[in-house]
Amino acid sequence: MSHKSVLVLLLMSAGAGVARPGAQSAKVNEDLPAGSMQQKATTACLECHEARIILQQRLNKATWTKEVDKMVKWGAVVDPNDRDMLIEYLNTNFGPEKAAYGPMRTSSEKNSNPNTAKKPPR
Amino acid sequence: MNSRRTFLKQVYGATLALRTASAVPSWAIASGQSDSVVIPGEDGMIVRSARFFDLETPVEYFDRWLTPVSRFFVRNHMHEPSELSAESWRLSVGGEVDKPLTLTLVDVGKLQSHSVVNTLECAGNGRSLHRPQVPGIQWGKGAVSTAKFSGPRLRDVLQQAGVKPSGKHVMFRGLDEVPGKVPPFIRSIPIEKALDPDTLIATHMNDAPLTKHHGFPARALVPGWIGAASCKWLTEVKVLDSEFVGNFMSPGYRFPNQPVKPGDSVKPEDTRALTGLNVKSVISGPLDGSTLKAGKLRAHGAAWAGEADIVKVEVSIDGGSSWSVAALGREQSHYAWRLWSYDWDAKRGDCLIQCRATDSQGRVQPAAAVWNPSGYLYNAVDEVKIHVA
Repeated sequence: MSHKSVLVLLLMSAGAGVARPGAQSAKVNEDLPAGSMQQKATTACLECHEARIILQQRLNKATWTKEVDKMVKWGAVVDPNDRDMLIEYLNTNFGPEKAAYGPMRTSSEKNSNPNTAKKPPR
Repeated sequence: MNSRRTFLKQVYGATLALRTASAVPSWAIASGQSDSVVIPGEDGMIVRSARFFDLETPVEYFDRWLTPVSRFFVRNHMHEPSELSAESWRLSVGGEVDKPLTLTLVDVGKLQSHSVVNTLECAGNGRSLHRPQVPGIQWGKGAVSTAKFSGPRLRDVLQQAGVKPSGKHVMFRGLDEVPGKVPPFIRSIPIEKALDPDTLIATHMNDAPLTKHHGFPARALVPGWIGAASCKWLTEVKVLDSEFVGNFMSPGYRFPNQPVKPGDSVKPEDTRALTGLNVKSVISGPLDGSTLKAGKLRAHGAAWAGEADIVKVEVSIDGGSSWSVAALGREQSHYAWRLWSYDWDAKRGDCLIQCRATDSQGRVQPAAAVWNPSGYLYNAVDEVKIHVA
């Protein structure tokens, strides 16, 4: 079963009261960007960790190469014929010149907005 | 000190709470807000990763000496243990000892408890600020927090087991669940630090049992050292005759002995294992980019130095041309950060606020951090830009 399938099941089991019909849902699981390698990268990388760990990187090609080779050693399934294209895909989408990734915040209770939480005293 | 009855009541209460919560996949719940994810017990944290959990404390939360657990940064290298219970948890103590032990949580609760207020900082805190950028969790300034940790001294447990003269290092193994072929998260510390009276097997944080994200039911607490030394979900303590050999001791968590340039290859023998934290201060307010009214303003923040003490924090409001000494907060403890504040009469216009700390070893926070391939120990002078209207 894929992680996405697991997520859907978990969300269903978490109760309908959490995500209300019509409410704008936070994107809990981010996707990797579109491209010819999107699906293969998703299979190779997101088996073990989520997309945010990739989305926040801003690396040159040499560093992406080292990262991909390390991850293959650690169990990422990458066809040797796809290795160079995967590195190219990551470097194209997450190179040093790209704008910084904007992370989300947590809220400890539903419908609370951490961005409007009380400010520290001056 | 916690009484035994209180300890047992607290840890078994925590077990029940964990079981209840485990029915709901807390990390996976959309909040109804477009910009947040509900994670029970985690309040306004920056989500660097939700699988595995890597949650950063926003700097504006550095407004009190002890960080509430709900705002304490979380760093996980891999999956949290799927099953944890106070009843079945065991801690084995072995290796170069005369009498190997297996302790239950009840056994641990019977040992004398000791408390240490410690500023815990991830070695990679500030990684996103290094240039050129380096791989890893792109922490901003908030992979650091301070709490009161309590539990028996590791020394007392080691002395119970009897460390042989051959015992030179102490290895910690946690219950983290390893994905794929990733090496297990195992590290070691030298025997001298293990026997330090402030090194703990911590079961409590801010007088409450550890939460799951922070290592329930027990974690190592190696004060003043990088966070990775303080292994969570501790299940094995092993005395070794040499430093543990594994990915998270080498090449992980090592720093070049000499400055290196991006692209240089660094031989393992030219690196050292990371231990104590750098001297460092950050500004928690005003926030970068804010607009404030002219008149009396206050800059404030926190400063820490690992195993050393903060002796001075200086603030500049003129781009570093002049520096003034900030007031240090009343609350202090070895290994814990000092809060600081600085008041001035702000004139209209743009203003660059900078802070730098000095510690009891004479170390001064530098203008630029030392770049290294893994982005560890970032500690450049902190700064925020504000507009005074």
